[in-house]
Amino acid sequence: MIPDDIRKINSDFSEEIKSVSNKEQLEEIRLKYFSRNGLISKLFEQLKNCSPEEKPALGKQLNELRNTLTESFNRLKESIEKETSSKETKIDLSLPGKYFQIGSKHLLTQTLDEIKSIFKTMGFSVFEGPELESDYNNFEALNFPEDHPARDMQDTYFVSDKFLLRTHTSPVQVRLMKKYQPPLKAIMPGRVYRNEAVSARSYCMFHQVEGLYVDTDVTFAELKGTLVAFAKQFYNENLQYRFRPSFFPFTEPSAEMDITCFICNGSGCKICKNSGWLEILGCGMVDPNVLENCGYDSEKFTGYAFGMGIERVAMLKYGITDIRVFFENDYRFLQQF
Amino acid sequence: MKISLNWLNDYIDLKNIPLDDIVAKLTMSGLEVEEVINEKEKFNNFVVAEVKEKIKHPNADRLSVCTVTDGKEEYTVVCGAPNVQENQKVILAKTGAFIPKGNFKITKSKIRGIESNGMLCAEDELGLGENHDGILLLPESAKLGEDLADYLGLNDVIFEIAVTPNRADALSHIGVARDLAALYNLPLHLPSDDVSESFADASDLAGIEIIDSINCPRYSARILTGLTVSESPDWMKNRLMKIGLRPRNNIVDVTNYIMYETGQPLHAFDLDLLSGKKIIVKSSEEEQNFLTLDSKERKISKGTLLICDSEKPVAIAGVMGGENSEINSNTKNILIESAHFNSQSIRKTAKSLGLSTDASYRFERGVDPNKTVFAANRAAKLISELTGAKVAKNVIDVYPKKIISKEIKLRFKRVEKILGYSITEKDIKNILTKLGLSIVFESEKEIRLSVPTYRADLEREIDLIEEIARISGFDNIPTIQRIPISINKKSDDSEFDDKIRSLAVSLGFYEMINNPLQNKHNAQLYGNPINVINPQSKDLEYLRTSLIPGALKTVAYNFNAYEKNLRLFEIGNVFNKKNEKEIKSFDDFSEDKKLLFLVTGKNAPDNWNEKSKNVDFFYLKGMINSLLNKISLDNVLNDSYYHNVDIFFDYKLEKKYNNKVVGEGGKINKRILKLFDIDQDIYCFEFYLDELKNIPVSKRKYSEPQKYPKSLRDFAFIFNSDILYDDVVRVIYKSSSGLLKNVSLFDKFENEQLLGTGKVSLAFNLEFYLPDRTLTEEEIDKEFKTIIKSVEEKFNAQLRGK
Repeated sequence: MIPDDIRKINSDFSEEIKSVSNKEQLEEIRLKYFSRNGLISKLFEQLKNCSPEEKPALGKQLNELRNTLTESFNRLKESIEKETSSKETKIDLSLPGKYFQIGSKHLLTQTLDEIKSIFKTMGFSVFEGPELESDYNNFEALNFPEDHPARDMQDTYFVSDKFLLRTHTSPVQVRLMKKYQPPLKAIMPGRVYRNEAVSARSYCMFHQVEGLYVDTDVTFAELKGTLVAFAKQFYNENLQYRFRPSFFPFTEPSAEMDITCFICNGSGCKICKNSGWLEILGCGMVDPNVLENCGYDSEKFTGYAFGMGIERVAMLKYGITDIRVFFENDYRFLQQF
Repeated sequence: MKISLNWLNDYIDLKNIPLDDIVAKLTMSGLEVEEVINEKEKFNNFVVAEVKEKIKHPNADRLSVCTVTDGKEEYTVVCGAPNVQENQKVILAKTGAFIPKGNFKITKSKIRGIESNGMLCAEDELGLGENHDGILLLPESAKLGEDLADYLGLNDVIFEIAVTPNRADALSHIGVARDLAALYNLPLHLPSDDVSESFADASDLAGIEIIDSINCPRYSARILTGLTVSESPDWMKNRLMKIGLRPRNNIVDVTNYIMYETGQPLHAFDLDLLSGKKIIVKSSEEEQNFLTLDSKERKISKGTLLICDSEKPVAIAGVMGGENSEINSNTKNILIESAHFNSQSIRKTAKSLGLSTDASYRFERGVDPNKTVFAANRAAKLISELTGAKVAKNVIDVYPKKIISKEIKLRFKRVEKILGYSITEKDIKNILTKLGLSIVFESEKEIRLSVPTYRADLEREIDLIEEIARISGFDNIPTIQRIPISINKKSDDSEFDDKIRSLAVSLGFYEMINNPLQNKHNAQLYGNPINVINPQSKDLEYLRTSLIPGALKTVAYNFNAYEKNLRLFEIGNVFNKKNEKEIKSFDDFSEDKKLLFLVTGKNAPDNWNEKSKNVDFFYLKGMINSLLNKISLDNVLNDSYYHNVDIFFDYKLEKKYNNKVVGEGGKINKRILKLFDIDQDIYCFEFYLDELKNIPVSKRKYSEPQKYPKSLRDFAFIFNSDILYDDVVRVIYKSSSGLLKNVSLFDKFENEQLLGTGKVSLAFNLEFYLPDRTLTEEEIDKEFKTIIKSVEEKFNAQLRGK
């Protein structure tokens, strides 16, 4: 009985698979021969009724049958799958994929992020302060006496006699020093305002990052070291730099840091006004008057401070020539970065 | 400020020092050279030439074709000037020459078919004058082939120097020369102030009285008689023009010249126009009008320091003289004022008049009180040389309380503590004495120095340390790199904002930055706005109270650029008055950080296999809730809903924490859209960012992923359409014994025929689950039925398909 069945199944299977050409027919074959109630299973069930003498030989034959059939079924299956998938490859794969909108932070935020991450690795905390400030925090505490020409350096929007839109982020220094004792090491990013006519080169509002480090042993040499490390990381590790004496009421000695113009490589161009140098930040040693105004002993503590405009840095880095594009929020601008 | 190199050479010998080096030295010592105008370079490729031959241009009536020579080569030049003739000496601009007027470079070019190799120049084209009647003709004596710069004697270099407010001492040629002398270790030669005087004594010719000696500590004057006012000689006019001053007459020119030489502002009065031949310096007792010499009527406020004669004001002290006593063509006798005024007083006056002059600029910054006589003498000497005037004997010098030199102590150790490297004591002393300071006391650890009165900015030890660093060069300070740790706690105020930004970006939002300054109308839409009292324009007068108006302005801007599908966010501060008083303290106003989201238009660009849809309120709401979920705030905020009640919104969703509104948003109403000329639906959500930041959030804890299969059921009910989805969900959860883990609405529809009027069908998926075992069908059925029953009862709802 069983050997006959084996032969029959074998030949039927060989015949039937010849006409199989798709997944549906393949499934029919699978159900007919290999499923739980399929022909092969049924034969194995019949094996139970055979005598113990016949069993080993028949069992072996049955196993062989199952293996052969499974093997040819799998071959068939593979070829049909290949065929189907090759049909799928006929679709035009060059058709556009679905669009997913990933937004972006404003270019100024991205620039600030980069600056922040460099200073954070150098041990600086990050603090913020209010934009609407007192005249005291913005000027007086920072050694800008009333009726001093230094105030002309920063055209100011006043909201009252004693309150104004901060002209720099430096008042946050005052706030921090009044709150914490040294050592104090922080950067202070934020928005500042200048009462100037809006043009391609200047806007009534922009952004700065301020830095401050006060301790018992802070020197100008360390200020230089820190800023050089920053500039090399941010701009270019091989850059040339110089520190040029300048004047800020809240630091002394004061300096401006220039780096080789990376647009013309120092040979002179419009951007660097033919000087070959680009000014990137202002800095200096915290003026003893400022330390004293904030309640620090200026004999014991020394400190450095620095500040840079984020718009300027971003304009240089990305070749933007009109500061107004930052605040027009043209979608075509926002999407570029 | 413009400084002439030739002029500097009068006081210090810089002839053998390369120009680049001078520029670098000045810049690197704090006198930043912003521009260098090298006259010789300016006239590169301009030479003296002669016209050999002139023929008419074959193709143009008004043009001629000239052959010119510079003595070496012949050039064909097409010329349009009517006055060009053979054998004339002319100025030839060869190829490469830069013509300032018209801002172009000469190149070889064809003019009406004839090649032209240069240009014959008119006066105005060279920037030498205004004449454009024809080309500039040179005398026969002009040397053929000579460079124009040499021919004209233009061999100067003009520096544009940015002088910082602390360096009043450098606002003159002598001041700059003094710095250079220290930098190059060269001697400084001061000009002679030796005046030959006449017999008449000045004090017999005029009298001076200072009433307000606080604001005028010193008044020196020289009297000159018998002079003739005329044009200044060319050398004087040239020097003044090169530094940007317009020559007037030989008296006024000298006063300006001496100011740019010494830094001391001077003023010359016509002595015969001073009533009583008297000068009285006093502060005005009342407001009055005064006609300044620029023929403008000025309002002088009370307390302004004035120079008066015995009857009337004749000058606003330190700012500008009056028309009533100015030098005119008939002037014969003059009084030269060389005074010292209090810097704050002058600054106040100049500010209140809105008038900044060369004089007020210097007085504001601080002029040397002890150089008035020197400057008066220099002026008297020059004027008498130029005009033949007699200088009356003696300087009238009223100086009630002499301003003496300050003394400052400098500790050598302190220099190193600030700068971080050591400079030898010898170098320190050398630098400071070169700058004019003198050592009055010396010990092993410190020195005491007397500071010349022209350096009003040097008051403290730190000021001297800066001078040492500046002159020895910041480049010589080493760069030290070390990373000390400061505060022992993690501190980054911007961390929360940054997290929000990143989430917004992942939701496809672009960040915008709008100007917080806006016009009154937009600011007044909401809250209690604060205005700037000195705005540049009405458009930038008020501080924003909400981020919405600025965002809508941006939307309108982009709509004009055909960008109609926008997803934008912004983080920024808003400002509100807390009362109607003037702002005198931080309690009078609030400054809050806000966060805004805005969506409008389609959710995606149209795509071939998926159609885009217009965004709506639920699109934005979904994004907001997803974001809140990521910062663990979704479960602590409560929602409330409003219709037609808001300034900005047609309808809105409010998010509250402990009954305090932390955010709200919805569809912008038509009235607001119209204000911004927007014709498309806009959905906005605005949060108080600091409120969100300050909500205490329980730390996220790990929960094991579900081990056992969850069981799903769904049902749909017909409700009266005025029910709230929120209420239904709440009831569903409430009526579950705890097996229910999630409910979601998968269908909603209204259909009068099918459901009846005022009815809505809501269909829900329900997920049941227990963490420790598989639920049985019976348990789920039981729970499901309980839920159905309570929904039916609570809402009088009808289970569908029942």
